[in-house]
Amino acid sequence: MQRETLYLKMERNVEILKEDVRIADLGKTWCRDGALLSRIRTQKVTELGPGEQSRKVVSVMRLIALLQEEFPDLEVESVGEAETVVELVRTEREKGAWQAAKICFVSCICFFGAAFTIIAFHNDIGIIRVFDRIYETVAGRVSDGVTVLEISYSVGLAVGIITFFNHIGGRRITKDPTPIEVEMRVYEEQVNNALAETADREGKTVDVQ
Amino acid sequence: MGKQLFLAVLGGSAGILVSAGVFTVLLSVGLVPRFAGKTHTGKKIFLYEEMVVLGTLAGDVFSVYRGSDRLGRAIRESLLFGAQTVLIWRGVSFSLLLLTGFFAGIFVGCLAVAIAEMLDSIPILTRRIGFRHGLGFMVLAVALGKLAGSLIYFLFRFYETGM
Repeated sequence: MQRETLYLKMERNVEILKEDVRIADLGKTWCRDGALLSRIRTQKVTELGPGEQSRKVVSVMRLIALLQEEFPDLEVESVGEAETVVELVRTEREKGAWQAAKICFVSCICFFGAAFTIIAFHNDIGIIRVFDRIYETVAGRVSDGVTVLEISYSVGLAVGIITFFNHIGGRRITKDPTPIEVEMRVYEEQVNNALAETADREGKTVDVQ
Repeated sequence: MGKQLFLAVLGGSAGILVSAGVFTVLLSVGLVPRFAGKTHTGKKIFLYEEMVVLGTLAGDVFSVYRGSDRLGRAIRESLLFGAQTVLIWRGVSFSLLLLTGFFAGIFVGCLAVAIAEMLDSIPILTRRIGFRHGLGFMVLAVALGKLAGSLIYFLFRFYETGM
């Protein structure tokens, strides 16, 4: 019999709904023998529980050891991550109203925070006096406070941030991800790396000896 | 006309570059992703970005246009909500001030710590002094220090030194 090869691509981070962690939950798997593949995919790796146990880091080494024990003839080829952060999510925990309250809270921070930041910046540079001076220099008469300069500055500010964030009223201007979306992915990656590293240092990774 | 056009171009360019500069700083410390991450509301990033845009525009109106600081007085004097306007506005303005102060405080607090963190000051310090446990106390101490400093600044009129 020809030796079967299992190609295993672990994900960096997965969220599961059930407590049992099976190989299929941790990433993508492929092998020529379909029946064997489905047996492999349902292999139980570990289980999650409440509290501290709701998040575990699983090492690919554990999977290899497990599979070698169960299927001695199988060759495992890992093409993905070496560790997966697996997390149990409870859908019922996130109630609609609670979720809405959190969204509202963050929106308020963003709104008032951004408003405060730009006011503080304008105050810092003394924008009113700068604009008065520019207006007098160019127009040759005293500014009355609302001139073409203030209006065009405000329009420019709006154009600048909308171009920067790349969307307006929920619609994307170009297909690129927005800067905060990019930051979000970077942040998630850093969090996952930190979780994997911490678990490794504390010896809590689901791993071989 | 030529002067007006020149001022328009100048103002517009200034606005675009200021927004690019100010928001690069805000974004590079990654505040919004962290808020979204902490609250597990990553799907609402668009909303948060729009709130940043709206907040900036509101702040722009109130800091660039000189007449805007007469808004509260104008509402009180115009009797917008009928005979009880003064009383109603006292309540409304109190809530608005409370909201502004509270949320702007959270934002600035996060920003200040995030900027400090960008320089890796805490990891470096803890490594130098061989600090193993009690990081939680350190964070609490920083927060209490900021709170005390902020209160002292306003209560003992430290702002006068910067005038």
